[in-house]
Amino acid sequence: MTIEVDTRTRILVAAVACVGRAGLDKTSLEDVAQEAGLSRATVYRYFEGGRDQLVAAAVAWEVANYLARLGAATAPEPDLEAKLVRGLLFGHRAIDEHALLQRLLSTERDALLPNLRSVMPMMQRLVRSAIRAELESVAVRPEVDRDDAADYLTGLFLSYLGSPGQWDLDDEEAVRRLVRTQFLAGIVPRATDVTGENPWQ
Amino acid sequence: MRGGDGQTAGMPARRRESRPASVPLLVERVMDATLRCVARWGVAKTTLDDIAREASCSRATIYRAFPGGKDSVLFATGEREIRRFLDDLAGQLQPLDTVEDLVATTLVVAARAIRTHEALGYLLEHEPGVVLRHAAFDGLDPLLTLAREFGTPELERFLSPEAAQATAEWTARVVLAHVLECQRFDLTNLDDAHRLVSTYLLPGLTADRRAGSSAA
Repeated sequence: MTIEVDTRTRILVAAVACVGRAGLDKTSLEDVAQEAGLSRATVYRYFEGGRDQLVAAAVAWEVANYLARLGAATAPEPDLEAKLVRGLLFGHRAIDEHALLQRLLSTERDALLPNLRSVMPMMQRLVRSAIRAELESVAVRPEVDRDDAADYLTGLFLSYLGSPGQWDLDDEEAVRRLVRTQFLAGIVPRATDVTGENPWQ
Repeated sequence: MRGGDGQTAGMPARRRESRPASVPLLVERVMDATLRCVARWGVAKTTLDDIAREASCSRATIYRAFPGGKDSVLFATGEREIRRFLDDLAGQLQPLDTVEDLVATTLVVAARAIRTHEALGYLLEHEPGVVLRHAAFDGLDPLLTLAREFGTPELERFLSPEAAQATAEWTARVVLAHVLECQRFDLTNLDDAHRLVSTYLLPGLTADRRAGSSAA
């Protein structure tokens, strides 16, 4: 049984395969056309900007695939806290285990990063809209604006995902603590808020 | 500078240049010139010749001060800018005495410094790859370490060492998210910064203490 895949996707799959073999700089449009079993002319029709546009699109496509996996992993979680925790755990592991990404970071980081920069607005939009949708059904503290909160959570989430720093994002307890404090303590009311306790003043 | 060599007037230009300039002054001049070049052309297109011309000295002079060439000039310049920023920040934090003030003020000082820094502005606009080299994945680690080293002593007056470190790192991350346009808070506005800190950061520090949790 053959699966029908549209031509654009076929080209992108081929591009990723070529980059996997030869790296970013050495991947030419001709290589990709050959890998996809298409003519150069066909590939140019879909990517008029040529090789550079094709490479950028391939990076964007891989990132979109990654985000889809992240979405699938977090979907079954019951609430925002659980989704953020699972998102960090799964998302971090998926980055660590993404062989091509790790290889490119190690050998062609300067060629890769500008392509990732182009993709960042899309990443932010997708993550933000998922978080914003989740916030709709969350009772938030009175001073919290849900749009601001979505922006805040998106920025923090992507920051930790890409650069864990000293945090061990394989440690579920540590991740839960991180999410409960820095991410959600200001957004979601906790039972103790009722006591009016404020140890900071 | 060697004072005993007599007057420079009347000496041929070549001879004048071969006298070693005061090293600290020269280094500053070269770094200032580097910033002006990068603000105009960015990092990739700035050559050592450009910097030399801008600094009114020779390539050879630059190499004597920076044997590593263009890379070491750039690195030293970046280091100096960061050091200057932190010195200025320390001065502005000195009179403050709440966590909220310290963090909100840091956000504003950082956001304003970034917005007004011409060389950095050029890079953000035209050479994002250079910025991301120091902001993406493990490339961010040195900046996070720096934030912790600077911020922890400032915050330890009020917080446990672990909370101080986490807060210092949080502050750096929020600034970076602002730079990479993740946020709708205007971090150059002190009221917005206060609102961000009091709404999103402080409750977490409180929650941490209540949970009685200790260092990770």
